[in-house]
Amino acid sequence: MSDKKKTKTVDFDTTYAPKKTNPAVKVIITIILIIWTVINLFPIYFMFTFSLKSNKEIFGTNIAGLPQEWLWSNYSRAMGTGNMGLYFLNSIIVTGASIIISLVAAMMATYAITRIKWRGSKLTNAFFMLGLTIPIQASIVPVYVVLSRLHWLNKYSTLIVPYSAFALSMAILICTGFMVEIPFDLDEAARIDGCGLWRTFFEIIIPLMKPAYATIGIYSFLQCWNEFMFANVFISDSAHRTMPVGIQQLSGSYTTDWGPIGAALVIATFPTLLIYVILCRRIQESFIAGAVKG
Amino acid sequence: MAEQVRVKNAPSAIKRKRDLILGINIFLFLLPALFLFISILIAPIIVSVYRSFQDWNGMSEGVFVGLKNYRKLFSNSVTLNFVVALKNSLILAFFSVFVQLPMSLGLALILGRKPKGERFYLTVFFMPVLISTVVIGQLWLKIYNPDYGLLNSFLRMINLETWTHIWVSDPKTALGSIIVPTIWQYVGYHMLLMYAGVKGVSPDLREAAMLDGATPGQVDWYVVIPIIKPIIRVSVIFAVTGSLKAYDLVYILTGGGPQKLTEVPSTLLQEQLFLANKYGMGSAISVMLIVLCFAFSLLITAVFREKDN
Amino acid sequence: MKKRLVSVLLAGVMALSLAACGETAAPAAPAEPAPAAEPAPAAEPAPAETKEEAPAAEETTVDANEEITLNMWCIATESDSNRHSYEAAIADMAANHPEVTLNWEAFENQSYKTKIKAAVAADEMPDIFFTWSCAFLGDFVDAGKVYCLDDAYKNYASELPEVMLGNTTYGGKHYGVPLTMNIVGLFANMELLKEVGYDEVPGTYEDFIKCCDALKAKNIIPFGCAGKETWCVTEYLESVIEKSVGADALNDIFLGRATWNNAEVGAAVDEFQKLVNNGYFDPAGAGLTNDEVKANFMAGKYAFYMNGTWNCADFAANDEFKDKVKVSEFPVINADKAKLGQLIGGPSDTLAVAASSPNAEKAADYTFELGKLICHYGYLDGCGLPAWTPYGDTSNINPLTQAVSEICANADSYVLFGDTAMSAEDATTYLSYVDQVYGCAVDGTQFIEGLASDIR
Repeated sequence: MSDKKKTKTVDFDTTYAPKKTNPAVKVIITIILIIWTVINLFPIYFMFTFSLKSNKEIFGTNIAGLPQEWLWSNYSRAMGTGNMGLYFLNSIIVTGASIIISLVAAMMATYAITRIKWRGSKLTNAFFMLGLTIPIQASIVPVYVVLSRLHWLNKYSTLIVPYSAFALSMAILICTGFMVEIPFDLDEAARIDGCGLWRTFFEIIIPLMKPAYATIGIYSFLQCWNEFMFANVFISDSAHRTMPVGIQQLSGSYTTDWGPIGAALVIATFPTLLIYVILCRRIQESFIAGAVKG
Repeated sequence: MAEQVRVKNAPSAIKRKRDLILGINIFLFLLPALFLFISILIAPIIVSVYRSFQDWNGMSEGVFVGLKNYRKLFSNSVTLNFVVALKNSLILAFFSVFVQLPMSLGLALILGRKPKGERFYLTVFFMPVLISTVVIGQLWLKIYNPDYGLLNSFLRMINLETWTHIWVSDPKTALGSIIVPTIWQYVGYHMLLMYAGVKGVSPDLREAAMLDGATPGQVDWYVVIPIIKPIIRVSVIFAVTGSLKAYDLVYILTGGGPQKLTEVPSTLLQEQLFLANKYGMGSAISVMLIVLCFAFSLLITAVFREKDN
Repeated sequence: MKKRLVSVLLAGVMALSLAACGETAAPAAPAEPAPAAEPAPAAEPAPAETKEEAPAAEETTVDANEEITLNMWCIATESDSNRHSYEAAIADMAANHPEVTLNWEAFENQSYKTKIKAAVAADEMPDIFFTWSCAFLGDFVDAGKVYCLDDAYKNYASELPEVMLGNTTYGGKHYGVPLTMNIVGLFANMELLKEVGYDEVPGTYEDFIKCCDALKAKNIIPFGCAGKETWCVTEYLESVIEKSVGADALNDIFLGRATWNNAEVGAAVDEFQKLVNNGYFDPAGAGLTNDEVKANFMAGKYAFYMNGTWNCADFAANDEFKDKVKVSEFPVINADKAKLGQLIGGPSDTLAVAASSPNAEKAADYTFELGKLICHYGYLDGCGLPAWTPYGDTSNINPLTQAVSEICANADSYVLFGDTAMSAEDATTYLSYVDQVYGCAVDGTQFIEGLASDIR
């Protein structure tokens, strides 16, 4: 996140001294925090350990301990027959493209709504905000019928277009929060310099909106990465299957063999978590920025 | 769209021409968003409304049946118990609002006091949000497994054999076994939203309150919470509409069973559409979902406004 | 010996009129003489290749070399016992027909139902698709989405008895290529039965109940049943109903010729619930999938497991388990109405061709050949009994499947699986009621009255 105009976003280092908190309270607070940490981390740890065990170990006594024998072959099964590598890649392509499309569309729309004065801009904004409450399931049948009439199933774009549309409302909401904070004088100055709307948009707004990209990206990511219903119905060939569906499929065929399922879950989860841990400060800041602006 | 675009009326032809150009530009800026939004959200919903008045199997021609689908939704039936589904999602919403959100708020307030390891906790608490719901469902299935699951094994280990359950298919525990992971997954999401608000409270305000002799608890209650109310409102809306839309975890954990006791509107929708070939009925359910989501959003906004006055 | 058995089986099947679900009740009796009489077709050692290229070549001489691509969807996923027969059949087809490129995808059973219906609704079907016979395919046929196979069938009539097409014949026209046929079998773990003093599966219902009680007393769970998949419950329930009210009565109800409101059915449902309430079923089964229950059965957790005979292949392939398991028929409950030889099942697994396929005519021929091979390999693997006339060496077929052949050879009549026999809408209703019965949320009376009012 570029820090040019960070003054108004939340600053982690704001300090205020908590005056003499009661030590007993402090202990209780620490205990609560530790318990919740364990509750958050334990399932992830459990997932990791059973991904490396054989059924014998899991069904025997060693359900939660570290594996006695580290069965990495579970991973090769998940990658091989389970095809998790491909599904992961598909999910990245679909999610990535959806984020970019929704971002571009939202930026343009927000520009028209917030920085050009015209009657109906409020109404248009309200119109887009309808999307925040519309459940994605509601449009599955008509969208399916239309997409299939257009012979538009089983492509990456089959998912990318609906995902972008459903991420749009949130993106516009966040964009608006960021864009109204860019001083209007800048537009004015640009216009005096002879810039048209488009040049102003590309040369002034887009560079100044950089901090918004990460925020919108995160919210869209959360929405698209998890999506299961559309992905399950719209994609029937395994070449374009996304991860949630892939995992469901895999666990259907390995119901009684926990290891490869665990491995698939880990493959689906750990890269994301790893990136998150590395970038956690920026991700959290961006997420928080969204909360404050939205 | 272009008709709506009108900049202050000026009679001169030049001005009118300029307005037209401006209008076209505005339209062009809005075009990508409008295209996506109308083609994927608005138009399908209009079609759904139309179809919801039909008896249609998705293949042959639909037959208009008026309100029959809606009436059937609210009549008790073994095959299609929308009332139970709705009740379940409202129970889920209740737990989200009155258990999950207070937990999120509590954690946000605690972390707002800058305890040691604040950043670590923040990072860990947000982790479940990033895990795909399908993964969470599968993971919890393994935790709940009646024979080898973590939960029952643990209960047996501490000699609480009698407490063991067939969690996901015992009518007494099935709904609970859906609620727990749902709450677990999203506590971090709301926590981070609220944490943002807590951090946004100006330190001066806190200082002032502290100087007046308020305890940290009182500061949180009387100063911080009122300030972050807009964020809480957003969280409540998300939690309630999210519960109404709940699908993935239910589908994976219980599939609506046992005996349809944990069915939610979206699982019914899927069943009617793709198992029973009743597209008209499915459309009626999706229309109900939209209406409910809107109604609750408006209601929550109104409740918060009421409180303000 | 084997040859004779197969002939007997086929004769038996032919003689019966398999319940047909199209508007035309039973197909016209096949013109050919019953094969039991003469060197059964099974005797022909015809190797697959030489035999089937003949008709295909004649048919397509004009543009035999034109390359086409066909798409196929099926449910033979990696874990499916039919997987191998599909793979082997498709490999043979690739060798025999280099001009045809077949792209095939396998989907998990439950999600496949969603997918194929959505695809039919949207006219996005693959050229060839797997389907269940009777009502499942019937819905698609009614909507005009399925290619009629009458012309192509002429070339294969000698190898595929017309009686096997009863479930895929609508308005006198054939729309499906049957693969294997299966019935519901009562699988028993003989090792566990021995522990309570039974060397054979009890032949009478009273004895059967006694056996269950004895098992329970020894802390052995009699039945495993996957409550998460309602069709598994129907495997038990339908057998209980059939053996109480008789095959004809049940068949009439399934096919809509008689009302559900039949007090005897209600009593049979109560009888089934008695089994549930007596604790014969594994309570944990309510939360398990069929694969998990099946694994439990093979691990010796249950004494009995009622399910389709397609399981024979998996049971026989498990070296530890194959010697412990036996298959038999569910005993008769009411001898006045029902008798042994009344079975649940019939040819259901089917391949069909989409009317929208640009190469429908070629796809039809291809499907017949492919279906024949899948049937052949599936039979050899023990995935079920052949709908096609068997050929080649069948002596290595596992003893379980042979036992099933014997049961079928003595069959009196078949009632197709309820959820296959009914239309999608009715089947969903029916399954919800079965689910309620298994959870003891409704009793027999509520079951029959509810179904009578909710189904049409």
